[in-house]
Amino acid sequence: MVFPDGIPAFEQEKRFLAMRQPISEPLVFLQSVTHPDVCFATLPAPAACPGYRLNVTPEDLHALGFKRGRQPEIGRDVLCLAILSLTENAPPTVNLLEPIVINIGTLRGRQAIQRDSSYSHREVLPLRGAACS
Amino acid sequence: MRRRAGESILIGEDIEIQILHIGESRIKIGITAPKSVPVTMKEVKLVGEENLAAAQLHSVAALRTMLDRLIDGPTGGEK
Repeated sequence: MVFPDGIPAFEQEKRFLAMRQPISEPLVFLQSVTHPDVCFATLPAPAACPGYRLNVTPEDLHALGFKRGRQPEIGRDVLCLAILSLTENAPPTVNLLEPIVINIGTLRGRQAIQRDSSYSHREVLPLRGAACS
Repeated sequence: MRRRAGESILIGEDIEIQILHIGESRIKIGITAPKSVPVTMKEVKLVGEENLAAAQLHSVAALRTMLDRLIDGPTGGEK
């Protein structure tokens, strides 16, 4: 997968691999091709939050190769991965506000910085019921 | 400081911020700055800090703990 702009703080990392392993389902690891030590644990946003809805900005839609004005459908148009954070003595959190969005057709990706979204960049896991809707 | 569309602000000798268009809920600004001065949206810097923190994990034990705590659920057709 190609990230033409990298992702914030990792602007030099332009190519990533997405990896899943049965032992770590449903996690998806995003590993930089050029610096394999740069690796993020992510969760598909719908797995973290069933019914998750994207609200990608027109600028990000354009950069991903989509028409402005229509949100891409997760699973059909895009993969949508939320980065996991783990701090000691605190529950894991997941960034549902700024997900990694990958165009399935072109495998071009980008971290979408959403505005006007009700999600948090630190949603606590596990999410229960309507906590994230 | 009050500015109208088409007016500018100078910061030091080399940086100019021009108000290009004022819309209902957002404004368009043009920034001229030397290449050595990074110009980014504040959100991007904050997201970068989150990403740096997130990239720190990955001891096997830490991942185990996380997996144990994770929800089970549909994966939304991701592959």
